[in-house]
Amino acid sequence: MSTKPFVEDIETYAQDIVDTVREPLLMLDTHLRVQSANRAFYETFHVSPNETEGQLIYELGNGQWDIPALRTLLEDVIPASSVFNDFELEHTFPIIGRRVMLLNGRKLRAGSHAAIIVLAMEDVTERRRAEADFRAIETYAQDIVDTVREPLLILDKTLRVQSGNRAFYHTFHVSAEETENRLIYELGNGQWDIPALRTLLEDIVPTSSVFNDFELEHDFPALGRRVMLLNARKLQAGHHGELLVLAMEDVTERRRAEEEVAKAKEASEIANRTKSLFLANMSHELRTPLNAIVGYSEMLQEEAAEQDLESFGSDLEKINASGRHLLALINDILDLSKIEAGKMELYLESFDLNTLIDEVASTIQPMVEKNSNTLHIERTAELGGMRADQIKVRQALFNLLSNAAKFTQQGSVTLNAERQVMDDSEWIVFRVSDTGIGLSADKILRLFQDFSQADASTTRKFGGTGLGLALTRRFCQMMGGDVTVHSVPGEGSTFTIKLPASVGDPKADFSEDNADSPDFPNAGNNRNTDPAPDPSTCVLIIDDDASQRDLMRRFLTKEGFCVRSAGSGEEGLRLARQLLPLAITLDVMMPEMDGWAVLETLKSDAVLRHIPVIMLTMVDDSDRGFAMGADDYVTKPVNRRRLTRILKRYSCASPPCPILLVEDDSATRSLMRTLLEKEGCVVSEAENGEVALVAMQRERPSLIFLDLIMPVMDGFDFADRVREHPEWRSIPIVVLTAHELSAEERRRINGYVEAVIQKSGRSSEELLNQVKDALKNCGVAVSSGLSS
Amino acid sequence: MPKILLVEDNEMNRDMLSRRLQKRGYEVLIAVDGQHGVAMAQSESPDLILMDMSLPVIDGWEATRALKAAVETRNIPVIALTAHAMSTDRDKAIEAGCDDYDTKPIELSRLLGKIEALIGNTGKNS
Repeated sequence: MSTKPFVEDIETYAQDIVDTVREPLLMLDTHLRVQSANRAFYETFHVSPNETEGQLIYELGNGQWDIPALRTLLEDVIPASSVFNDFELEHTFPIIGRRVMLLNGRKLRAGSHAAIIVLAMEDVTERRRAEADFRAIETYAQDIVDTVREPLLILDKTLRVQSGNRAFYHTFHVSAEETENRLIYELGNGQWDIPALRTLLEDIVPTSSVFNDFELEHDFPALGRRVMLLNARKLQAGHHGELLVLAMEDVTERRRAEEEVAKAKEASEIANRTKSLFLANMSHELRTPLNAIVGYSEMLQEEAAEQDLESFGSDLEKINASGRHLLALINDILDLSKIEAGKMELYLESFDLNTLIDEVASTIQPMVEKNSNTLHIERTAELGGMRADQIKVRQALFNLLSNAAKFTQQGSVTLNAERQVMDDSEWIVFRVSDTGIGLSADKILRLFQDFSQADASTTRKFGGTGLGLALTRRFCQMMGGDVTVHSVPGEGSTFTIKLPASVGDPKADFSEDNADSPDFPNAGNNRNTDPAPDPSTCVLIIDDDASQRDLMRRFLTKEGFCVRSAGSGEEGLRLARQLLPLAITLDVMMPEMDGWAVLETLKSDAVLRHIPVIMLTMVDDSDRGFAMGADDYVTKPVNRRRLTRILKRYSCASPPCPILLVEDDSATRSLMRTLLEKEGCVVSEAENGEVALVAMQRERPSLIFLDLIMPVMDGFDFADRVREHPEWRSIPIVVLTAHELSAEERRRINGYVEAVIQKSGRSSEELLNQVKDALKNCGVAVSSGLSS
Repeated sequence: MPKILLVEDNEMNRDMLSRRLQKRGYEVLIAVDGQHGVAMAQSESPDLILMDMSLPVIDGWEATRALKAAVETRNIPVIALTAHAMSTDRDKAIEAGCDDYDTKPIELSRLLGKIEALIGNTGKNS
């Protein structure tokens, strides 16, 4: 076996290995001339062995390998160290373009061969590009993070800082080195070791992965006391794993500004209150002496008239009129300041327009006549009533009329009133026209401004505050209407007021008319827990005027009635059917369905017919009322005591009525019980006042028969206790007595007791008649079938 | 002769109103503050009380509440006289138990109408 073929075999074997390597390889001799290359080299650089072998490496491919960095490597590094690793060479090769090659060189000695340099080239262009892309993305992300003006910290799962953004370093005056790879609590000498933050980061974030707007107020060494709004979010960030982004917004200034605003607001509110108080006080201080001037001059006028001192009369009239004028001005200023402060309230009520116009006309008549003018009133026949703030409507009309009278000489002033339907709703339109000096267009523009008369000379010539028109307009606007003006200089002016015929209540109380929540008198705040009272013990108020309803409800509630109310005839009928109330108070003058129509419907309905109806009338229409079936009537303004007395007569509208018998003598009790049951009443008994009070807790009787002299608690004390109880106050009490009452006893029961029955020394028939009378007088219905 | 108790601290208002009411056939009793008014109402049992609201010692609202809480005086009608024509004052007066109200300066015919409505036909003595 010769060694030659063996050597050749080895060489071929080596060449095969070299060719199998996928990296290009060059084998150079020590003169840097190419001995051989592998297949990968030829394929990569698109060259043939002929062009390559025997050539100096620098001559290869038209000198494409003649690179200064490579020369340094091959000529300086290799001879000294015989190896170099991972030298990165970036170079533009003619055919394959710009490449990044990782070069590894090694000097080898291979048997008989002279030393060779193996140069391995790894093309890392793609890898480097991917790495660069990745770096770019990271930089991009970091750039974004740095651009954010809020300080940000990126934490890993262990709450160690991975990085901060520029704003963080800037805000807290720290460097990246002082920050990165430290626990957040270690940062800045532990300035972030805040219990609230620990809770947040360790308890809240792990479970919820996010929290928003956590407000942290803390003394930071570099910054002082700051309020930070913290937001955190957990992120899955590729190979970084789970990260937590913590954003901090310094809201110290904002909070401070908010506090300033709140303080300023409070200060201005205080100032406004002070102003209102000042005006209220001032008006009081001014009005008190004016009251005296107005009052005394009026008294002297009366006396002057009585004593025929005509010459005094006219002077006194001037004092009186000036006093009233000054009072009106003070009121205007006060009103305007109230409107400005948003404190002006509407007091809505229903009133008759003809009455109003007559009153306004008679008030304004003297002013109109003063300038030798004549006053004309024009109104349509079906003017009817309206619902508004009567005082403000009156004031608005008075303002316009007095202006017209003031600016007109020897002419006429006309007030026209009519009802109009516009946009499906009813309006009341008042027109005040005069034949006076009129207004130019530019003057009209300034007309409605506060303290602005058409021009300054007007003030000197005609007087006035200049507030009248501004107030008039504000009043009308408050009521959902407005004032407009049409004027021709030299010919006269027409001011037009349009108001809704029924002004809506801006703060309408819906619960008031809510049938499901009757207002029952109660001593405490147990309104919600008490069982709803039996509606058949309620009084139903039917009145379109909310303030009237409110007044009635308040005093009837105080008198111990359960009260429900309805704002219209239709609503009233509906509630009457639903509740079957004890009694109904019915206002006559209502829009749409008036009281007479409601009464007619009630009395023609078999179910509702028996409910007592008390009519409330402006004029004494009692004949008409009784003829139509009204059970009673009260004129307005309502005399409360009279109304209460009437209502107490209707204690129980439909049998069987519960009666409480308080009497210590059992014989009298059983006699009374027999009499009452015969009348269809349901009787419960009590042998003294204390027992009776317990019985009343169980059931509210319609009527109480009360003996005065009893053990434990006598009738006087019992009656006092009943009167003290707001829900029992309206129950009528009939006293049973065995003897003539003394003056002192009469005084004690005065005002409590509806009737006194003498129980002793009477036949049972006489007693029965007295009991029957008492039942009838107290409005306790008896069942006719059983009654004798 | 119906008896009216006038509770008013201002001397001139007192003088004017009492003279004018006397002229119209009322007996007028005077109290100068709220406490005095309550005491007079108890001792004199007037048919009606005219109550100024801004009074010294105890004000008119409080005096009215006291009158309406006491058995002997709760049935005496009270008319509140208030200088402020504000609906809240009216409400406050009614809340305190006043049976009616009128505003100053007094318009005598209007006030007389209210007095008559309260004691006219169902006065205590009737």
